[in-house]
Amino acid sequence: MTKLLEVANLTVGYGEAIAIDDISFSVARGEFITFIGPNGAGKTTLLNSLMGVLQQTSGTVTFAGEDLKALKPEARVARGIVIVPERRELFPGLSVEDHLRLGAFLRRHEGRAKMVAALERIYALLPKLKERRKQLAGTLSGGEQQMVAVGRALMAEPQLLMLDEPSTGLAPRITEEIFEAIDRLKAAGMTGILVEQNANLALSVAERGFVLEVGNVVASGEAEQLRKDPRVLAAYLGAGDRYREAMTDT
Amino acid sequence: MSDTILFLLVDGLTNGLVYALLALSLVLVFTVTRVVNIAQGEYVMLGALTLADLLQGRMPGTLYLLIGGLALCAILDVGRWRRDWRQASLYTGGLIVAGIVALALTRGALALHLPVIGMMVVALILVAPLGALIYRFTVHPIPNATTIVFVIISVGVSMSVQGLGLLIWGANPYPVDPIAAGGLMMGPVFIPYQSFAILVTALLAMGGLYLFSEFTLVGKALQASAMNRLGAQFCGIPVNATGALAFLLAAAFSAISGMLLAPLITANYEMGFMVGLKGFVGGAMGGLIDYPLSLVGVMIVGGLESTSAYVASAYRDVLVFSLLIPILLWRNTRSRVEAR
Repeated sequence: MTKLLEVANLTVGYGEAIAIDDISFSVARGEFITFIGPNGAGKTTLLNSLMGVLQQTSGTVTFAGEDLKALKPEARVARGIVIVPERRELFPGLSVEDHLRLGAFLRRHEGRAKMVAALERIYALLPKLKERRKQLAGTLSGGEQQMVAVGRALMAEPQLLMLDEPSTGLAPRITEEIFEAIDRLKAAGMTGILVEQNANLALSVAERGFVLEVGNVVASGEAEQLRKDPRVLAAYLGAGDRYREAMTDT
Repeated sequence: MSDTILFLLVDGLTNGLVYALLALSLVLVFTVTRVVNIAQGEYVMLGALTLADLLQGRMPGTLYLLIGGLALCAILDVGRWRRDWRQASLYTGGLIVAGIVALALTRGALALHLPVIGMMVVALILVAPLGALIYRFTVHPIPNATTIVFVIISVGVSMSVQGLGLLIWGANPYPVDPIAAGGLMMGPVFIPYQSFAILVTALLAMGGLYLFSEFTLVGKALQASAMNRLGAQFCGIPVNATGALAFLLAAAFSAISGMLLAPLITANYEMGFMVGLKGFVGGAMGGLIDYPLSLVGVMIVGGLESTSAYVASAYRDVLVFSLLIPILLWRNTRSRVEAR
């Protein structure tokens, strides 16, 4: 299988403090992987560094055979690396449809027909956005804002879609709606990296998973396997007490 | 008495519209790039003096500034030749073409003796790119600097550009022809045609900016970069390009303002700073982020200026600038309420 993204010995730091410590992994075309882990493990730092917002300290990131080191965020978007950021980063005074059109900013020369077709595809995937398309993003609910962020990212026609904690702060029903959309994208062959605190949810979507703790990968494997891993069970799947008891017994 | 009030009202409105273009420039630059641009007034001077030169049949010194700036741009880009010579040669080629076009345009305009409006367009084409160049030299290398750093830089830019203005044009004032000489008696008040010209041009410029930012994707991208720089980057919007665009548009608006103002007061190398500060007082009313409130602000500034010129002419500028104190107090109470 050809690898779309290859990350080798990536280290990222804020000044002296190292947030990502020598991580290596790869993503094949059409594959969905996930990074799970607690707050402050470096999950968001990892995505921001892949996006080019944070400079990498060392290591290499190769996307479709090209070294990304010197590329700015907008150049990475042009290559097809697109993020749905944790804090959504919307434009409060612009309408939902404006967000979607701006998502396709780099494809603005492809003509009106393509833009309309792309909008229709997004509206089919996230019907709520069509109802709200004239509404300003600042007046939307959290879930709707998350949908705008997802829709905006998809308008760029990503090769690699990175989702940073899409379930944060959302009601379970809304989360479900968003993850249904992600499932459909995956079924359509989208490649992705999902970062989540909700490990159960993340491992139900992704094929492979990595457990990140203070900047290090402490466990990795097939999603099914990880779900049964006692360490993962303990820390992230709500079986902590039982695990700890078992450990103290031995 | 009512004649006087009417006259002051017209005068205040005219002043207000001139400052409105400045306040608009300041808000545009601040929202997109977070730069409080003290140097904004210098484009007023450049616009006015360039127009004066063109109308009197001289090669404007602005052309040399522009060509020098383009050359400096090419020099700053040398690092790219090794990495990507194709892009670099395209870029440098574009700069050379821009310089040649500017030269040809100026020579053509001088040879054809265009009317005032035509010369204004040429002057605008010469001055506006200087905004983008100054962005390239001062903001582009340090996009994440703090506001205070940008303020200090813009003071430096203001001084340098004023120095260059003195070098090129000397200290003498230059008369500038109005778009249309004469005026109209409206009831008891004489209104010069230039006031109408100011009204129409200012409204056209503001309307143009509105249409551009509401109905084009690039305009929306400009708004997006103003609202959320990171979010704009995630859309693939090149934020350095939108910053340069904001500087260019702001330079254009300020230059228009200078060209409209010059016939009323004559142009000289240090006219810009004062006008810039008055635009700033108006813009401060809107916290440099709110267009409508800034317009209210500059109208108050314009009105106060014309009444104080009538009542206590010597204290005109003192009165206008002391307006900043109540404005800042008012902003302060407002932001405290919002913070609660």
